[in-house]
Amino acid sequence: MGHETNVQATSSFHLTMELNGDQVSIEVNPSRRLIDILRSDLCLTGTKVSCEMGRCGVCMVLIDGKQHNACLTMAYQCDGKKIVTIEGIAEEKLDPIQQAFLEEGGFQCGYCTPGMIISLKALLQENCEPSFEELKEGLSGNLCRCTGYGGIYRVLRRLSCPNARA
Amino acid sequence: MWLNQKSSGDRWKVRPDGEEKVTGKLRYLTDMTCPNMVYGRVLRSGIPHAKILSISIEKAKLLSGVLAVITYKDIPGLNGFGISTPDQPVFVDHLVRYEGDAVAAVAAVSDEIAEEALSLIEVEYEQLSVIDTTEKALAENATKLHPQGNILHETEFSKGDVDLAFAECNAVIEETYLTPRQMHTYLETEGGLFVPEEDGRLSVYAPTQHGYKDRMQLSRILAMDEDQIRIISSPIGGSFGGKDELNVQPYGALLSIYCNRPVKMHYSRWESVVAGLKRHPMRITMKTGVNAQGRLLAHKVEIVSDTGAYSTLGGAVLNFATEHAVGPYMISNVEIKGKAVYTNNGVSGEFRGFGGNQVIFALEGQMDRLAERLHLDPWQFRKMNLRSKDDLGPLGQRIVPTKGPNQVCEAIQSSSLWRKREKLNVEGKPWIKKGVGAAVAMHGSGLGYGLPDHAGGTIRLNSAGKIEVAFGHEEFGQGLISTLEILLINHFECRREDVSIVIGDTDLVPPSGSSTASRTTNMVWQALNQLKKPFLEAMFNKIYELTGLEKSNLTTGQGGIWLKQQKKEILAMTYKELAEKGDCFECTTSFHYPVTPDPIIGAHYLYTSTAVIVEVEVNRLTGMVKVNQIDHTVAAGPVVNPMGYLGQIEGGGVMALGFTLTEDALIHEGKYVTKNLDTYLIPTIFDVPEQHRVSAIEELPEGDSFGPRGVGEVGSVALAPAIVAAIRDATGVWVNELPIKPEQLMRRFQEEVAEIGGEYGT
Repeated sequence: MGHETNVQATSSFHLTMELNGDQVSIEVNPSRRLIDILRSDLCLTGTKVSCEMGRCGVCMVLIDGKQHNACLTMAYQCDGKKIVTIEGIAEEKLDPIQQAFLEEGGFQCGYCTPGMIISLKALLQENCEPSFEELKEGLSGNLCRCTGYGGIYRVLRRLSCPNARA
Repeated sequence: MWLNQKSSGDRWKVRPDGEEKVTGKLRYLTDMTCPNMVYGRVLRSGIPHAKILSISIEKAKLLSGVLAVITYKDIPGLNGFGISTPDQPVFVDHLVRYEGDAVAAVAAVSDEIAEEALSLIEVEYEQLSVIDTTEKALAENATKLHPQGNILHETEFSKGDVDLAFAECNAVIEETYLTPRQMHTYLETEGGLFVPEEDGRLSVYAPTQHGYKDRMQLSRILAMDEDQIRIISSPIGGSFGGKDELNVQPYGALLSIYCNRPVKMHYSRWESVVAGLKRHPMRITMKTGVNAQGRLLAHKVEIVSDTGAYSTLGGAVLNFATEHAVGPYMISNVEIKGKAVYTNNGVSGEFRGFGGNQVIFALEGQMDRLAERLHLDPWQFRKMNLRSKDDLGPLGQRIVPTKGPNQVCEAIQSSSLWRKREKLNVEGKPWIKKGVGAAVAMHGSGLGYGLPDHAGGTIRLNSAGKIEVAFGHEEFGQGLISTLEILLINHFECRREDVSIVIGDTDLVPPSGSSTASRTTNMVWQALNQLKKPFLEAMFNKIYELTGLEKSNLTTGQGGIWLKQQKKEILAMTYKELAEKGDCFECTTSFHYPVTPDPIIGAHYLYTSTAVIVEVEVNRLTGMVKVNQIDHTVAAGPVVNPMGYLGQIEGGGVMALGFTLTEDALIHEGKYVTKNLDTYLIPTIFDVPEQHRVSAIEELPEGDSFGPRGVGEVGSVALAPAIVAAIRDATGVWVNELPIKPEQLMRRFQEEVAEIGGEYGT
C-alpha cells in the first residue's frame, strides 16, 4: 500500500507550516480540516479520526505547543504554525509518556492512545512537575473505551510529581 | 491475589503491538490507502418504515468524478447478510425497516464528490406507521415486518411447578427491569479498503471478529468462490461485539468490483450510530419466591428484547439471556419465557456480555430485594442458595464442575469495602449519601450446545527460523497477540525474538472460529497444548537424523534447540540453522469448543464467575451518582497474561459503569436522537474511580483440564446490580431502570419526602 497524494484541484490557499520539525508547504482548500490534511494528504495516520466534533480527542495534535482537536482545525488556522503529531513525539527513543503507556498497560486497542499522549505532552511541556489531578484534567477531552482508564491512571501516577500540589 | 504489576512479577509484559501503538505507527485497516483508490459512500433511508416506490440513480451517475452507483439490482448473489440468518438486505429493494437501511452506494474519486452524489439519488418512499416499541410489534393487528411476523425467536424453559411453589413461598418479589440500548462506541468507526487484485481475487481489509465468516458471507453476496476472497481483519480499533457482523464489507466489496478500483470506506460517527449494532434493550419481569428459611423456591421470568429491524444474533442473545436468568443459584421451580421482537428501531446484536448483563442486573436485583424482605444479609442469602461444585447448570445441563461462584463470593470479602457494608458514614455534607453494594454472576463462554464452534491453529518453523503460529483470531485490543507470545515463550522457553505470530488473514491462517464469547484465550491455549508435542517430535527427529543426538536429550530454548547435559546445556542447533535444512515441521490442529453432553441448544459447558463490590455516593440535591471504588474478583482459571486480564476486567467494568449510569442510544419514533459522542455519554476519566482493583482466582477444581477461560466479557456483567444495591444502601431508593437518570432519582427522593413529610435531605 502506497502513499496517495490528494492535493485538491480546487485549492486556493498556500499553507506553510512546520510539521514535526519539517517545513511543509501545500496547496489546499482553506477550509479543509487539519485531520484530513494529515491523514489523507500527508499520510500521517497516527492522528486518528472518530467523532469529528472535538469530543473524543483521538485527533489531538500540538499547535504551537498547545493541544488541539485536528477535526476542528481548518487549514487556514495552521498557516505559519508549528504542528506536532504523534509521529513527532518520539525522537531517539520513546518519550517517557509513551514509555509509561507501554509499561503500565495504558492502552488496549490503541486507537485513543496517540491523542492521549499528545494531551499529556501539551500539559507536561507547560508544567514539568504536574500533580496527578492536573494530569487527569489534561485528559478531560480524551475518551478511551477499552481500558476503563485503569491503565491510564497508572500512567498518570507514574508521570505525576509526588511533591506537586493539585 | 489482587492483580497488579507487582503481584504479576515478570509475567507483566509489554505488549508486542505496544510500541507501534504508542508511536502512532500502527496502520489500522481504516488508515490504509492505495494508489488509484476511490471513496465509497452508502445512502441510508433515513426513514424507519416505508415502501420504496422508485429509486433513480441517473443524476448521481452523471456527476463528474462518480465511478459507480449501485442498488439492489447490482448484487450478483444474495441480497442479504447476517451471521445467523441473512435477513438484512445489503440494499433494500421494496421495504425499508429502519433508518439505517442502505438504499444505494456510490464510489467517486473524492469523498466530497461521493457525498454529493448521494444527494442526487432520488428515492420515492411511501411512509408507513413506525413500530417503535416491542408492545406495538406484538399487538395483534401489527404490520408484519418480516414474512414470518414480528417475533424473531422465542425461548422457553421450565422445571418443577412454579405456580405450586409460589403458593408455598413465604416472601415473593415481582419486579420489572428495563435496560438501555447501549452502544459499543469503539473509537475506530467501521471502515476499510477493498482491493480488486490483478488475478481476479478480492482483498478485503476491514475489521471483523471472524474473518472466515465474513468471507463466507461476502462469497454469497458477490457470487464468488470463497477462495477468491481474502479477508485481512486486524488490527482493530475496538469492537466489543460491534464489528462481528458485516458492516462496510458488502458495500466496499461490490463497489470495488463495479469500478475495478480499490475503494476506501470509513463511516462517520453519525453513520456508525445509525447503521451499527447496539446492545438489546430488554424488559425483564421476574417473580421470585423464597421460603421462611430463605431458600429460593420459585422463579418466573419473562424477557422481551427489542432486536430492531434484522436478526443478526438476536436469537442467540436471547438464548444466552434465558440461560443466565437463573444464574449461579439453585432453584427447584423455574419458568422462563423469552421473546426477541422485530421493530423499526436500530438493529440490536452481539455486545460484550451477550444478554447476560441485562438479566444479571434483574436477577441480582431480585436477590437483594428478597434478602431485604427476609431481613437477611444479602450475601448470606446468596450463599445459602448458591450452586455447589457438581450441581447442574442453569438449564439443567451438565457443566464442567466449578467452585467459581463460591470462590468469588468468599474472595470479595477481602475488599476494603466489605466492612463498610455494615456501617455507613455521613460526611460534613449531609446531602451526600454513601452506600456499598455487591453482586455476583456466573457467565458461560463459547457459543453453546448445538452451534458450530470450531477452533484450530497451526505451528511451524518458518524460513526465518522462528517458531510461527497461525490462528484465525483477531486482535481488537484485547491483547491476543500478547497472550500468544507469552504462551509460546512458556511452551518453548525461548525468547520473544524466536517466535512469530500470524493472525487476521484468511490466506495465511486456518479456521479458528470467531474471536468472541470469551473463547479465544481458551481455544489458543488448547490448540498449543495439542500442537506442541508433534511439533517438537518432528524437529527433534530431524536433529537426530542430522546429528545423531538422542531425541530424549533435546529441548527447545533461547535461540535454538539445546542438548540437555548433566551439568550444562549445549546448543545443538539454532532455529535458523534448522530452518535452513528446508523442513518447516508444520502441524495443524482442528477441534471443537467443549460442549455439554446434554442436548439443550445454546447451553454452556464452561463458566467463569465474578463478584463485584462498589461504593457510591449519591447527591440528593442533584440526583448524581458517583462511583468511588470498584473491586472485582474473577474466577477464570490461570492468568496467562496479567496485563491483558487486568485491562479486560477494568475495561469491561467501566463499560458496565456507563451501561448503569449514562449510556442510552435514544430512539424517538424509530430515529436515533443521540447521534454522536456529545449526547451519547460514555465514561470519561472523571467518571471512573481510580480505585478499581481486580483479584484473580486461578485455581480450578481438580481434574479440570480446560485451562484458562477468557475474561473478555465477565468484567462487564455484574457491576450494574452492585451499583443499584449501593444506591439503595445510600438512599433507600430501589432502581429498576438503566441507565439511572438523575431526574429519575430526584423524583424518587421527592416522592419519598412527600410520603414521610420529613425534612428534605435527611
